[in-house]
Amino acid sequence: MEEKKKTILYLCNCGKNIAEFINMDELQTWAKSQGNIDAVEIHDLLCAPNGKSFFKEKLNASKAENVIIAACSPKMHEATFSKLAEEASVNSGRVLMANIREQCSWVTKDKEHATKKAKHLISAALAKAPFLENIEHRSLECLTDLLIIGGGVAGIEAAITASRAGRKVYIVDKNISLGGHVITTEEVAPHMECAPCMLAPRLAMIKNDPNIQVITNAEVKAVRGFKGNFEAKIKVKKRYIENSCIGCEACFPVCPVERKSEFHLGMGSTKAVYTLFPGSVPAAAIIDDSLCKHFSDKSCNDACVKECPFGSINFEQTDSELIVKVGAVVVASGFDSFNPAKHPSTATHLKYGELNNVYTINEFERLAASNGPSGGRVLLKDGTSPKNVAVIHCVGSRREDILNYCSGTCCVSATKVGHMLRKQDKEIKVINVHNDLSFATPEEYSFYTKERTAGTDYRRSTDQSAVKLASNGKAIKVSAPGITSFDADMVILATGAIPAKSTPELASLLNIETDKFGFFKSASSLLEKTLSTIDGIHVVGSAQHPASVGDSIALAHSATAEILSSLMPGRKIELEVATATIDKERCAGCKLCISVCPYSAVVFNSEKKISEVIEAICRGCGTCTASCPSGASKARMFTNEQIAAEIGGLFK
Amino acid sequence: MSKPKVTFYWCASCGGCEETVVDLAEGVLDVVAAVDIVLWPVALDFKYKDIEAMADKSIAVSFINGAVRTSEQEHICKLLRQKSQLVVSFGSCAGSGGIPALANLTNKQDIFTTVYLDNPSLDNKEKKVPKELSREGKYDLTLPSFYDTVYKLDDIIEVDYYLPGCPPTPELIAQAVGAILKNQLPPKGTILSPNKALCSSCKLNDSKPEDIAIKEIKRVIDIKLDPSKCYLAQGVVCMGPATRDGCGVSCINGNMPCTGCFGPTDSVKDQGAEMISALGGIIDADSSEQLNKCFARLPDPAGTFYRYGMSASLLGSKNKKE
Repeated sequence: MEEKKKTILYLCNCGKNIAEFINMDELQTWAKSQGNIDAVEIHDLLCAPNGKSFFKEKLNASKAENVIIAACSPKMHEATFSKLAEEASVNSGRVLMANIREQCSWVTKDKEHATKKAKHLISAALAKAPFLENIEHRSLECLTDLLIIGGGVAGIEAAITASRAGRKVYIVDKNISLGGHVITTEEVAPHMECAPCMLAPRLAMIKNDPNIQVITNAEVKAVRGFKGNFEAKIKVKKRYIENSCIGCEACFPVCPVERKSEFHLGMGSTKAVYTLFPGSVPAAAIIDDSLCKHFSDKSCNDACVKECPFGSINFEQTDSELIVKVGAVVVASGFDSFNPAKHPSTATHLKYGELNNVYTINEFERLAASNGPSGGRVLLKDGTSPKNVAVIHCVGSRREDILNYCSGTCCVSATKVGHMLRKQDKEIKVINVHNDLSFATPEEYSFYTKERTAGTDYRRSTDQSAVKLASNGKAIKVSAPGITSFDADMVILATGAIPAKSTPELASLLNIETDKFGFFKSASSLLEKTLSTIDGIHVVGSAQHPASVGDSIALAHSATAEILSSLMPGRKIELEVATATIDKERCAGCKLCISVCPYSAVVFNSEKKISEVIEAICRGCGTCTASCPSGASKARMFTNEQIAAEIGGLFK
Repeated sequence: MSKPKVTFYWCASCGGCEETVVDLAEGVLDVVAAVDIVLWPVALDFKYKDIEAMADKSIAVSFINGAVRTSEQEHICKLLRQKSQLVVSFGSCAGSGGIPALANLTNKQDIFTTVYLDNPSLDNKEKKVPKELSREGKYDLTLPSFYDTVYKLDDIIEVDYYLPGCPPTPELIAQAVGAILKNQLPPKGTILSPNKALCSSCKLNDSKPEDIAIKEIKRVIDIKLDPSKCYLAQGVVCMGPATRDGCGVSCINGNMPCTGCFGPTDSVKDQGAEMISALGGIIDADSSEQLNKCFARLPDPAGTFYRYGMSASLLGSKNKKE
């Protein structure tokens, strides 16, 4: 405890919010009788302009160094009064709020009781006051560049937006080129915009943008640091093709090896040297070394090398590592789709992979794509056009045993099937088997009603988890409770979105949390929607939750706006003031505080054999202080002495 | 010049603190040569009336061990305080209640019932229980009264210094006596032992992982302790992180975990609570079933976390008259 400092107490009526429920006259008289208060001031609305000037005037006059404001929640106005106090040369560490509104007047009916409660709350603050300490405001020069993990539509939009503001952007994708899921789609519902037409110019912009460095066939291996100062280690895998490759495809015809195309979800083929699609970014092809003849019998005599006009093929290429320094990270790692063959229930009922002509919605997207394996014609295995197509909604979704959520994006995709098939041949009959339907916007709903009028037959089952497919001669028999069984020659399964396979590993290396569904968690569901659980790391697109293309782009823009406005070149960032600190004279180096820190802000100094807080990362949660068994760790503004005194005061 | 007068007194204690004085070995002779012992009930025959006859502050220092739980102990402690320039609280029981203070989980009546009436090995057909006053023929026989609560020494009298430990080590005693004789004393109220937790001296601390996680707490009898690996990392509750250094890490050097006898550092109010809170951070359990399983082998939390500190704990006592 320091030498006695003068304490001033403000009582705020908050209009009628407080004064109507608490006897303010009695409170004021009581406060004046408390020995440890040097001045008591009451105002009708302390946060109003005249209240603020009253606050400063009285503070200056009182020469008080500890300030207690009995008013609303500190979440409402602590920052307001701290700032005013600083302006009056009082350190904001010495400003304390007693919440007599949310915790008292609003929730206590009896006036006498409420007045008594207010006294206890003020008494707690008064007891804490002698233990208040000055806090130091610290700021840090920040890095302003961005690392974007994932090169789908969300990552692409974040990159372009940030680059436009003059920021350097590193965009990393595990695939060999950018585009994510959207580039595999022909048209985006409900407006049926041509996805490649939308993305191609965006990809070209990225390709020609000197501010954006595209790093594909790569993985982020480690990220350390904090908002405004991250360092990331990226592993770039060898592709055997140098950057000089322009994707001219001259080597493709001479390669004797055929392999399944991942871009077409295994339904088409590529050579051992390939790109995902013409015009990809980067343009450079890649060689599949597990199949390339160069790495086995060399029977092809390295025909591709001879054919390449740019000398781009390099069989000696190795993996490389890249270190980048950025101010913020955007995670746009996307989603995967539920695989109906991977769960016993859906595997038994839907026989995906067993029955011919049963496709997932993603496979349908490829079949219907003009750059797809069948040139945009959706055909049966025998090469004929389908006549009766069934679309099964909610495959894997809304079930306690599989995906206990609605992806919110599959109904509109499922509705797209009829639209696209009728464009191919208006005689094709499409039956959508659903239970509930989920459309997020008026436009999506009207797309559904339009397709329904145009011919798609929606049949409502009573239980989507009981939909069964069975072979019936050449046809597939579709049965479900609540509807009459029917035959189809093709079935499309509208599978739910699931967290991308890379999510757990990424979460662990970034030290950010995932939600109960396995997607990356937002710091807050509303205000900090794109922020992860670590400051400076944002999560956008379907990495956060299954999102439509439009929503993914909006989230990407939102995250970029947050980053651009909070990390400005030349402007310092304010660091958390209520951080934890470890007394190096007291710390025994027991390490128990290290694993409890949710921000990895506590590290072990193996030279001094003590734990230390990296204050720039610390967010002041106090967990390390609670776990320190020897009293060496202290949470500023919430020290053990302060809390003990406060509790003592509360019970006085 | 006469030699400084010294007393050694014991309250509720096991005698181990007396033993540790004898453990000074040849050193005890130096002490005896340097001072004039005027009261030491365990070793020498002096009478209370001798002390009562002395002038106030005529004793240089009184070393008092044991917790205070009877009227006689309280009386002598107050007497020694009056006659002594310095009072040193000696050992865990005087410092924070020690093992006797686990009795604060119960009270006098329950203790007497268990000890004198319910104890299965007892032969007490007349159901006699000690009384403060009993008549033997024409004589009134008195016993000190037995308190409901076990107190630490500074609950009863003002204490100048504290020597922690169960018992304090001969090295710490020698240092303390040396400091007193040379008049090189630290500020009043100091605990005469390093103010850091034991891990700072423990040779096993280097083996402790930073991401320590305990799935199941084990008792010492459940496993063969690996003497080269931090015991907490092996799932055994070691009070080292919550306990003051200064014992020479003797238990751990003997391949046993720290039980906390040196008490907490000076910035800690409640040693047991701190250790429980710290454990809370490293227990790896996601459900109440897992938690129950984790703690199944911790049948005596009070005896584990508050083995020496119940009189100083925030828990108070069952019958504290406050």
